[in-house]
Amino acid sequence: MNHATIEKNISIMSLLTLVMVSIGGLVEIVPLFFIDSTIETVQGMRPYTPLELKGRDVYIREGCYNCHSQMIRPFRDEKERYGHYSLAAESMYDHPFQWGSKRTGPDLARVGGKYSSLWHREHMRNPRAVVPESVMPSYSWLEKNVLDYNDISARLSAMKKIGVPYTTEMITHAKADLEAQAIPGQNTTALISRYGKKVPVDDFDAKPEQITELDALTAYLQMLGTLVDFSSYQARSR
Amino acid sequence: MATQPRDQKKQDQQPGDVSTTGHQWDNDEGYPLQEYNNPLPKWWLYTFYATIVYAIVYWVLYPAWPLANGFTKGLLASSMYQELAQEEAAAKATRQPLEKQLADLSLEEIARNNNMLQFAMSSGKAVFGDNCAPCHGTGGVGAQAKGFPILVDDDWLYGGTLAAIQESITNGRNGQMPAHLQTAGGNLSVEQVNDLTQFVLSLSQRANDSVSAQRGRLLFSGEASCHSCHGDHGKGSLLDTVGGQPLDHGIGAPNLTDKIWLHGGDVETIRTSIAKGRSGQMPAWGGPGGRLSPLDIKAVTLYVHTLGGGQKK
Ligand code: HEC
Ligand code: HEC
Ligand code: HEC
Repeated sequence: MNHATIEKNISIMSLLTLVMVSIGGLVEIVPLFFIDSTIETVQGMRPYTPLELKGRDVYIREGCYNCHSQMIRPFRDEKERYGHYSLAAESMYDHPFQWGSKRTGPDLARVGGKYSSLWHREHMRNPRAVVPESVMPSYSWLEKNVLDYNDISARLSAMKKIGVPYTTEMITHAKADLEAQAIPGQNTTALISRYGKKVPVDDFDAKPEQITELDALTAYLQMLGTLVDFSSYQARSR
Repeated sequence: MATQPRDQKKQDQQPGDVSTTGHQWDNDEGYPLQEYNNPLPKWWLYTFYATIVYAIVYWVLYPAWPLANGFTKGLLASSMYQELAQEEAAAKATRQPLEKQLADLSLEEIARNNNMLQFAMSSGKAVFGDNCAPCHGTGGVGAQAKGFPILVDDDWLYGGTLAAIQESITNGRNGQMPAHLQTAGGNLSVEQVNDLTQFVLSLSQRANDSVSAQRGRLLFSGEASCHSCHGDHGKGSLLDTVGGQPLDHGIGAPNLTDKIWLHGGDVETIRTSIAKGRSGQMPAWGGPGGRLSPLDIKAVTLYVHTLGGGQKK
């Protein structure tokens, strides 16, 4: 059919547009129903704790992804520097993903446990105090901003709606769990029974009297890349 | 043949040379605004077709579509994971002879063997840059932030021998200085903390209130029992003794008599150290699931030992 004919006939034009958009839509949407089959089965992945989830929100709000990726590519140099390459399973509870491809700073996919929380505090206050050559901006307000977590149960249910397996129990106790993780000396039994032994519990910003945005961000950073149990993971030969 | 500039060509186009879309606006003085219906440039169109063909060839050759049970693998069965494994195997093969020696020889033997030491130093330097420099500074010179020890000097918290350094790196260290002020959870009054601060100043021969320092001296080895970690003479758990007995080197209490400070040697910082306590955290790098392999740890141990402060015994 001639181009001009289509362009000049609104009914044919609409019909063909509909066909094209449907094909495009199917090609993009149908694979999503099978995407689970590409995610590895691993031990240890769990939804983020309420404090980590809040920290992730801070991470996104501050635009840390503009300079940091969270995906270790399967190359030898990356593996030697950062550790095991990232697995799809490791970001299955991420909405949205923080993979990224811009690396002004290092990849953060496995930064959890690499430094002490005290180091993170110094580094966020003024990166140049620990790394003199750093071009990372200082985020000194994070330790001053008190964390607003009144909406935490709602945040968890929202994540549940898009597929993160938070249980009803996790949602109802979100506030208590958040406080147990950030305030030293709190009873963490319930938190650990819900999220597992590996939850980093600390006074992340060395200010026990209040929960700040830095507490949340550091809890998130200290968890990154530590969840999957690699001793039980067998790389699929594929 | 001289080619005409592009714009020139365009201007030379006459109405009627190219078909129009049929739309016409603003027939002003016989010069209507019309929309040319120029065909897409050929180079563009064929490039576009080529990308479509490329995509289809790509789907056939490489992994592409998720399926109910896995995904299409492609005829080339290409996998970055396999390529990585091959590359790692190849690198391992070339490094094998030296790495085997690194694994077999003891730290002392390597330190004496020039060739091996060089090999260890070069990989140790890379490991240090990636993992240790953010806290200890490039080359171990320390950071502006306090609490991260300098590794180039011969002042050690836990020891500068190869074995002690290896232990620090493998299992990490966590030096705990308890809080001593009552309001921070200790059992000393503000005056007592002041007295101790004056005494600590006197230990490194700095200006102090000698009457107050004298009271501090009694507290240090008495009620406050600072000596149980810092030793009878305040020289730290590594060098000092308590009642003639050596202290546990794992305590990591610093030498208070020298001019090297972990957190700071001014009056206010010393007071804060005593009142609120300190907690130094050196992450563990070894063990199962540790960030560094035993070989990396060996290499970086030798690197740190050679930085300047390494001790024989
Ligand atoms: C302008 C770019 C930039 C932005 C924005 C940025 N960073 Fe960085 N970041 C860097 C650079 C460069 C480094 C490496 C030097 C250093 O350690 O400071 C770095 C290092 C780090 C490290 C240490 C990584 C390692 O393995 O040594 C962490 C953790 C980190 N950044 C977290 C963050 C967080 C959290 C944010 C957002 C609040 C952020 N960064 C925003 C540039 C950036
Ligand atoms: C998060 C910051 C941090 C990182 C990263 C770090 N260290 Fe440390 N390191 C410390 C702190 C803090 C201490 C002192 C511990 C204390 O106060 O008890 C220390 C102590 C040490 C000691 C003992 C020093 C002494 O005086 O006895 C050595 C050796 C050492 N680190 C080497 C390393 C090496 C090698 C690496 C890299 C593999 C490394 N560190 C990475 C913070 C760090
Ligand atoms: C349980 C052992 C222990 C006791 C008791 C103790 N300290 Fe400490 N002290 C340490 C350790 C360990 C450090 C290093 C902290 C670190 O690694 O950051 C330290 C650090 C210090 C510092 C900071 C030194 C510097 O270089 O910045 C001062 C000052 C100090 N202690 C004084 C005292 C005084 C005074 C007392 C008695 C009131 C005392 N300490 C009791 C273990 C102890």
